[in-house]
Amino acid sequence: MRLRLEVRGVSFSYESTPILEDATFSVEQCEFLGVMGPNGSGKTTLLRCMCRVLEPRVGTILIDGRDLRRFSRSEVAKSVGVVPQSPVVDAAFTVFEIVLMGRTSRIGRFEAESAKDLEAVEEAMKMTDTLHLSDRTFDELSGGERQRVIIARALAQEPKVLLLDEPTVHLDIKYQLEVLELIEKLNKQKGIVIVAVFHDLNLASQHCDRIILLHNGRIEAIGPPEQVLTPESIRRIYGVDAVVKRHPVTNALHVAPYLPPKRNSLNSRATVHLVCGGGSGSVLMKLLLESSMKVTAGVLNVLDTDYETARSLDLSVVGEIPFSMITEESFAANVALIKHSDIVVLTDFPVGPGNLRNLQAVEEALEKGRPVVVIESTPVQHRDFTGGIAAEYMARLRKSAVVVRSAKECLQAIMNLQAVVKGH
Amino acid sequence: MTAEKTIVSCFERKRHGWKLTTIALSIALTLTIFLTTLIGSTGPIGPSSGEKIPLQAVLDILFGKGGNWPENFRAIIMDIRLPRILLGVLVGCSLAVSGATMQGVFKNPMADPYIIGLSAGAAVGASVSTFLPLQQDIGIYALPLLAFIGATLTVFLVYQIAKSRGRARVETLLLSGIAVGSFLAAVTSFLLYLSGQQFRFLFFWLLGGLWMASWKVVLIVSPIVSIGTVLLQLFARDLNAMLMGEEQAIHLGIDVETVKKILLALTSLVAGTAVAFSGIIGFVGLIIPHIMRLRVGPNHSVLLPASTLAGGLFLTSVDTVARTIIAPTEIPVGVLTALCGAPFFAYLLRKGRRVWL
Repeated sequence: MRLRLEVRGVSFSYESTPILEDATFSVEQCEFLGVMGPNGSGKTTLLRCMCRVLEPRVGTILIDGRDLRRFSRSEVAKSVGVVPQSPVVDAAFTVFEIVLMGRTSRIGRFEAESAKDLEAVEEAMKMTDTLHLSDRTFDELSGGERQRVIIARALAQEPKVLLLDEPTVHLDIKYQLEVLELIEKLNKQKGIVIVAVFHDLNLASQHCDRIILLHNGRIEAIGPPEQVLTPESIRRIYGVDAVVKRHPVTNALHVAPYLPPKRNSLNSRATVHLVCGGGSGSVLMKLLLESSMKVTAGVLNVLDTDYETARSLDLSVVGEIPFSMITEESFAANVALIKHSDIVVLTDFPVGPGNLRNLQAVEEALEKGRPVVVIESTPVQHRDFTGGIAAEYMARLRKSAVVVRSAKECLQAIMNLQAVVKGH
Repeated sequence: MTAEKTIVSCFERKRHGWKLTTIALSIALTLTIFLTTLIGSTGPIGPSSGEKIPLQAVLDILFGKGGNWPENFRAIIMDIRLPRILLGVLVGCSLAVSGATMQGVFKNPMADPYIIGLSAGAAVGASVSTFLPLQQDIGIYALPLLAFIGATLTVFLVYQIAKSRGRARVETLLLSGIAVGSFLAAVTSFLLYLSGQQFRFLFFWLLGGLWMASWKVVLIVSPIVSIGTVLLQLFARDLNAMLMGEEQAIHLGIDVETVKKILLALTSLVAGTAVAFSGIIGFVGLIIPHIMRLRVGPNHSVLLPASTLAGGLFLTSVDTVARTIIAPTEIPVGVLTALCGAPFFAYLLRKGRRVWL
């Protein structure tokens, strides 16, 4: 496919502080490119170089094979439209007047606005659904409307490339989605190349064909979202952990970042073994890690939410083949982990014939004098799929275990127990 | 189809409105010129103690009907009053159009034609002229010439000081204008102190007035002001874009640095010429664009012509009061514009409406 935009070895620095270093990439016709990276990584600088507000120190930018430096200002405006980050319009211009300004580069100094100019303005306002706002002033508009008006102004320039600097920042979710839908429409229907800076990893991965990840002014990765937005790259660049999955409805990449638990493994207070499942233990895992506990878990079926959380938190966990009964082997492994732990926690997961043996393991632990905390926010009757066997287990366990109702209460109970354990 | 009609008709309606405003102001200006020729210390309208010029005489003289009127009537109307009225119009037009332009360039409601040292430079030039021995040779034109040179040199200097790496940011320009302006104000004060018997003359020039008016002056000023004003109108769209901020103006295809230089040069030419012959008349360049913006909105396509016409109308009206109210002497018109301009400006601010933008 033909290249529309090429950035070759572009570097930029303020005074002696390099902001952008050796950026090289190209954008094909009709492509939607996302630019991402933490604050100060050079995203906006890259965009400002691409519309020649800034002149790169070295390197060239080509539009349709022609060096951007050889464009006049008005020629740049005819090729590149820009939607700046949260633009302000101080003057009481009407929406129509603002969109008409997009034609400035196409109207000669000695000419008046022609029918063609008005057509382009109208077309742009139709595309962005701003026709009805025509006589309003900018400060009367909502955030979403303002963004659409500025996009309409850029569209009236009839650009080949549209640069957007965080087009959805400061917008309500509904407006965010609307604006993104609009940008995607421009990309698909009018074939305008989109280069947009995003902060939101999910919005970007949903809409972009490719993503550039910038870090300290350098391009760390470029490619389709699923190649670029990996937990490893997110950890390296943003310094946070993330779970990357497919969205169940849109099938787009779904990135859920979280701060890594602040572990204090050198000075572990106690080892807590979690018997959990179905997501009932995930919150607790993080809470415990943050309270300097060592955490183990089992038996969990692979693909279970708790299993995935435990894996991504790098815990020792006993896994079982998906949708299978707990085998003798994993039961034994679980018992071994319990043996190495100071405290056992039983969460309120649904119990079926498959994982019933987890309750047996807890009961055995209790019989051996291991302190057990039972979380019961959902009564066992509502999650007993064993015809009453689980309920019987629970009735026996409740007699000698500490019963709490939430993860936070559980943490408190563990803290108390730990004092007792340490006392021994 | 209906939508298309709305946009086109919306624009046509707007353009029609602009045209009407311009026509109405032109008619008002013409009427003002005519009416003010009737006003003066010798009448027909005015505080005359002796013989008054009859209305018929003015009409006959103005429209070249002849009639058997004394020669001094003709001289008063044609050689004294009319050039003065026309100079008032020209100076008012230049100050207002320059003020509107500067407010656009600087995106600042407090900007006026003098904002980057034009008046301060002109004052130094004018003061220096009174010390030159050749004043008698060049006659009365030494002062305007030196004032003009002082004004344009100062603007150039301010721009050069503010420029770094090929561009002069408006914020820096403003500050550099203040720095140079206060320095030159000190120089002017010192020269005034030394000026001896020329003091009164210089002081009157500094206060601003139109007593230099003559047909010769009108003939010098009018081509410069008309050409400059017309050229400024060609930058209406650029000024609109620049109101969005310099960066957005660049996005819209404006070569901001070049346009800024051209606009600064044109306003120094236009306002510098006006100041050279009329001294430092304040407030016209500040409040006329403000009032017009309230009436016609921020779009320079209409704001510039409207301000131009209103400025001419305003200054020549105020000058008529200045030259008649305490006849046979007169008040410097700059004093009067400040006397009525400043309270009116305060009133606009108090009214709570958005005065600017």
